[in-house]
Amino acid sequence: MNFLDSPLSKPAPYVVAPIEHRFDPYEDNGGTSVAIAGEDFCVVASDTRQSNGYMINSRYAPKAYKMSSTAVLSCNGFHADGVTLKKVLEQRMKMYKYSHDKDMSVTALAQMLSNTLYQRRFFPYYAFCLLGGVDADGKGAVYCYDSVGSFERENYRTSGSASALIQPFLDNQVGRKNQQNASTAPLTLEAVLRITKDAFTSATERDIHTGDNLQIFVITRDGVEEQNFPLKKD
Amino acid sequence: MNHFPSQWGKPRQENVDEYNTVPLYNNMPQSHAAAGPMTRTQQPVVTGTSVIALKYKDGIMMAADNLASYGSLARFRDIERLHPVGEHTIIGASGDISDYQYIQHMLQNVMIDQHCEDDGHTLGTPHIYEYLFRVMYNRRSKFNPLWNALVVGGVHKGERFLGYVDLKGTTYQNSTIATGFGGHLAQPILRKAVEGREDTLTEEEAIKIIDDCMRVLFYRDARSINKLQRAKITAEGFEITEPYSVETEWSFAESIRGYGA
Amino acid sequence: MSGIGTGYDIYSSTYSPDGRLFQIEYANKAVENSGTAIGLRVKGGVVLAVEKLVQSKLVVPGSNKRILSADMHVGIVSAGLLSDGRYIAQSARDEAKSWRDNYRQPISGKSMADRLGLFVQAHTLYSSVRPLGAGTIIGTYLDGEATLYMIEPSGVYWGYHGCAVGKGKSVAKTEIEKLKLDEMSVQEAVREAARIIHTAHDEAKDKDFELEITWICEESKGKHTAVPKDIVEEAERLAKESIKSEMDDA
Repeated sequence: MNFLDSPLSKPAPYVVAPIEHRFDPYEDNGGTSVAIAGEDFCVVASDTRQSNGYMINSRYAPKAYKMSSTAVLSCNGFHADGVTLKKVLEQRMKMYKYSHDKDMSVTALAQMLSNTLYQRRFFPYYAFCLLGGVDADGKGAVYCYDSVGSFERENYRTSGSASALIQPFLDNQVGRKNQQNASTAPLTLEAVLRITKDAFTSATERDIHTGDNLQIFVITRDGVEEQNFPLKKD
Repeated sequence: MNHFPSQWGKPRQENVDEYNTVPLYNNMPQSHAAAGPMTRTQQPVVTGTSVIALKYKDGIMMAADNLASYGSLARFRDIERLHPVGEHTIIGASGDISDYQYIQHMLQNVMIDQHCEDDGHTLGTPHIYEYLFRVMYNRRSKFNPLWNALVVGGVHKGERFLGYVDLKGTTYQNSTIATGFGGHLAQPILRKAVEGREDTLTEEEAIKIIDDCMRVLFYRDARSINKLQRAKITAEGFEITEPYSVETEWSFAESIRGYGA
Repeated sequence: MSGIGTGYDIYSSTYSPDGRLFQIEYANKAVENSGTAIGLRVKGGVVLAVEKLVQSKLVVPGSNKRILSADMHVGIVSAGLLSDGRYIAQSARDEAKSWRDNYRQPISGKSMADRLGLFVQAHTLYSSVRPLGAGTIIGTYLDGEATLYMIEPSGVYWGYHGCAVGKGKSVAKTEIEKLKLDEMSVQEAVREAARIIHTAHDEAKDKDFELEITWICEESKGKHTAVPKDIVEEAERLAKESIKSEMDDA
């Protein structure tokens, strides 16, 4: 046999499997928010845990922001996008104020938030927003969004890592779904706060990305009031 | 977060580059044509490992070792990863060292611009933190990240400040922070020792906690060395120690074949 | 002036038959109308001082700084058209930054003077620009080395132990020549600078002035900063005393 044909002269080529490197610009920082509209008030609540996978980054990294005296915004998903989105909105709200010499209504802010999200349709803000406040008529308002700006005004909504746990609970307790002979009387602020806290204490038990502290904003015609409520830290 | 910076931002998959050979030759493009069109930083090259930091009674304490690795090779053993900015801020950097040096340069330019303004304003820790957040976030949005996890510590107007910023623009503030492998090994120790005691921990206690964490990291993090620096920032200013070593104990290895003896 | 009406002073790019550039000479005149600025290079640093003439009582004290920074370790003071001075300082900042971007090192006093010299000189070449009406003193301090340079409107520059520009430059120069700059500390230099500015000030012609003093030395941590208020006040008190006793002697 010719030496050149022998297997020894042709060692198997060292195969280099290419490694896929694509920078992933997103991260999921977990956390849950709830917003419930009452007759003349609105409650927006978010837990304050920020996590990344199994790691807790911080036990107090708020993701709900007071935007004006009648509106509170909460952003779940990628924290950096949420903070940036909030900054952009604040700038645009200032421009509105300088142009029109009045504060933005929640209704206007709701539409602007949608436009701001849609501007980044092809590189979205990975932020799932809830906007709560009282509208020009003094009625409680909740707007909920997807990451590219579709939105809807609702009476109650939860979003974030434990939303699948909390939404059915709200449907039952706030929406009075699947209840027979349930009262149709509007919920009081006390009832809403109780439901909110219950929702979070339960979600904290089952969702590892939710916990530490609960930040609750109560928005009325008179302004925004903040409360804090401890959640389990495990 | 994965402990090894070259894995940051990549799919969490065990069969990818198992031996951390990045950036060694077998991952390099085979030819220029194979390299394709213009590329951006997709992996760090020379890297620093964990930075740890905590809040204590008088301010902030931070530590990092002096190693810059090239993949698994301990390439440079005298790199300083704690960098002062102004009089009351220190930045600790893990991840790509060249990106970190670029960040140092950028911050220096900002500080010089401020100096030339001569309007009596100086940048405090929260301002530097916010600036870094915007820089890191905007770079990630251009798909050209600065491959670092940075710890920003300082005292501003009598308030202690300790924050984290990374290559994606993720930010948070906490009384204890640990980047990279430290997030797995040091953070639990730090939390247990510090949480709830931020206002009572003395400097001596803080030093002990930091050194204990750095010892654990040296024992278990294969990209670390036992030569490190520690910084403290108080209302009076900052102090960075000369490189030093922590006490280690290896007598157990004597009886293990192929380990010690 | 001999050039007037001869047409040789229309452009800075035109020589007179006897080889002079009248536009540059006019620029020098602009410099001589300004409040005196001095620079002292001593053992452990440099001191810059200027007699800032206060144009109006309505001007806020301490505003409109005449001594500017181009980098941490570079101080610039100019006499003449203030806006031209700021224009040169801006160019100095760009040069300092570009040097740092390229070499990751602070720029040396020599290189800074050279670059600014070229910049000022470039404004004497073209009919589309006018020569800069500012005499500029550059002080730097780096790794224990102090430098002092002065650039004239022609773009020419020299290194100095001590220099002066503006109205009182001849008085100031005579005073500086009497000093033993090599043996002097920065603290002493501050006191001398205050005294010299007060001596050079012509009370008969000019109204009020503010004394502005900066330094770059170990005490300022190698940074170009204003000399602390208490030190300046003390220096001014001593300056006034010494001038008074000199007058009494005379």
